[in-house]
Amino acid sequence: MEHDVALTVKGLKTYFYNNNRCNRAIDGVSFEIRQGKTLCIVGESGCGKSVTAASIMQLLPTLSRIEEGEITYHGPDGPVRIDALDRGGAQMRSIRGKEIAMIFQDPMTALNPVYSIGFQIKEMLMYHTGLGRRERHDKAIDLLASMGIPLPERRVNEYPHLYSGGMRQRAMIAIAMSCNPRILIADEPTTALDVTIQAQIFELMDTLKRENGTAIMLITHDMGVVAELADDVAVMYMGNIVEAGPVGTVMRNPVHPYTRALLDSIPVLGRGKDQEIKAIPGQTPDPYDRPKGCQFADRCRHRIDKCDQMPPETQVSDDHRVMCWRYEEFASDGR
Amino acid sequence: MLTYIARRLLTLIPMVIVISFLIYLGLELTPGDAVSHMIPPDAYGSMDPDRLQELRESLGLGKPFAVRYWIWISGVVQGDFGYSLAGGVPIADIFLDRLPATLELSFAALLISTILGSILGTISALTRGSATDQGLTVVGMLGVSIPEFFFGLVAILVFAINLDWLPVGGRTLPGYDSFWDRLPNLVMPALVLSIMMTAGVMRYARSSMLDALSRDFIRTARSKGMPEWRVNILHGFRVALTPVIVLIGFRLPVLIGGSVIIEQVFQWPGIGKEFVSAVRSQDYPLVMMVALFSVLAVLIASLIVDLLTAIIDPRVRLGE
Repeated sequence: MEHDVALTVKGLKTYFYNNNRCNRAIDGVSFEIRQGKTLCIVGESGCGKSVTAASIMQLLPTLSRIEEGEITYHGPDGPVRIDALDRGGAQMRSIRGKEIAMIFQDPMTALNPVYSIGFQIKEMLMYHTGLGRRERHDKAIDLLASMGIPLPERRVNEYPHLYSGGMRQRAMIAIAMSCNPRILIADEPTTALDVTIQAQIFELMDTLKRENGTAIMLITHDMGVVAELADDVAVMYMGNIVEAGPVGTVMRNPVHPYTRALLDSIPVLGRGKDQEIKAIPGQTPDPYDRPKGCQFADRCRHRIDKCDQMPPETQVSDDHRVMCWRYEEFASDGR
Repeated sequence: MLTYIARRLLTLIPMVIVISFLIYLGLELTPGDAVSHMIPPDAYGSMDPDRLQELRESLGLGKPFAVRYWIWISGVVQGDFGYSLAGGVPIADIFLDRLPATLELSFAALLISTILGSILGTISALTRGSATDQGLTVVGMLGVSIPEFFFGLVAILVFAINLDWLPVGGRTLPGYDSFWDRLPNLVMPALVLSIMMTAGVMRYARSSMLDALSRDFIRTARSKGMPEWRVNILHGFRVALTPVIVLIGFRLPVLIGGSVIIEQVFQWPGIGKEFVSAVRSQDYPLVMMVALFSVLAVLIASLIVDLLTAIIDPRVRLGE
């Protein structure tokens, strides 16, 4: 095998329950995260990106559960079915943090304000490694240094409120990377940060991927980020992956109208101020009152009668798949 | 830190002066004066007005208000608290005699309510929506809404009279002076005094804990693969603690106020009991000193709260 697969998700369905109503937040999602590669999951708010991440980490809120499907982690000791593990059980906890680590959207709130950064790194080391007190401290300093934080010896004892936004996200990454996880899940890690800082954080993540062979699952809503960082991309809409494949293929030859609409909605530098930016018409449907068929049908310019039925996942090529009835027409329209 | 404490203590001085002035003014505005309290009403009416005026002059009551205030406050500053009108005992002696009892009672109640309230509130938050949580909520509402003297009377009836487990009241018996000898006497008043505050702390700790648990860093802590108890206690409770400490600190004066009633119910020989009899007998020098003491307690409590928050929450840095 050329690239080891680090994690497989197959037919995942995660539902939320609220006042006896059911929100099928993820409705049959399948993908793979390859070792040492970055998978970007793109989509609008509420499309199920974060729920996918929470499902993998078994960090779903109380009123939601994985209904169907498989999440398999291919660890050093053979495959583990994560979805079958007890949420708070010892085995899940030994995977969470050590094997699969996660960083979050807002570094301002993701760190505990009453503990020093060092404490929050060392805490992780205490649970997942056999390092002694002194070694943990040294390792925490090393980690901060490798994340590009100046004066790590001093910074390690400082509290989160003395860190800037970018530095906090670096510290978060230091925590996540402290046990050398095989997979890093980043849930919109730069949404709350300045654009300049954003570039630095992505650069850091890319370096980590190259140096440690970490597989990264990056959740974003920014197509620009996808083009920059991804090896693979999965476009999500209302709980489905509507199109997925290697980044080059999907970006250059998108066949789902939603992917196309996303790409069309980005302004391109150099086309001048008068360029047409096509916003996607309409709004995402109420998750409790979804369309029967294709979830995007109501906003789609290419809608036909058949769209009232759910399109199947179809392979366009070996590694490129789509959920659309009319993909063949789009594949050959030369865009 | 030390300079901060020193500075805070210095700012207390003007506040105390202003408040002491208000206390003095308040009592000045009440009808009657020392002379009308000293002489029985029937004799007062038949006395020669010139004789009364003479008496006032000799007591210094003829002097202007500001001068009288000055004489009083400068005496207090030098440790001369004046004399109680009832019996002529120095007020300083009354304080020395009664203050330890009040402090003992208040701190016992504070300790009980802090520990019990935080633990129950945390349990309530962690089992949110369960029968335990709902039961504690009901108990909490009862605790907040039923007045303390009622609990006190019921407790006396049940535990002292019917069951005969604990003494009815009082603080100590002659010849039994050690803390352990006094402990049975302390149990009931301290528990009853702590009920309302325990309920308050519990409700507050519950909501504070729920708030803390809904924050993002809890998810981060879970994502580290730590066991649930560590997430809840080290990350949740630790953060929930700060507002609870503030609440407890600001309840401290309430505790001293509350002990006025409880001291009556349990015949506890504290300042509160003394205060009630002083008000009843219009012993105004004593009333003023007790009021001043309560004010000091409030001010010092708020200083302690600030110091504690600074210790607990690293984002609060004092004096810079």
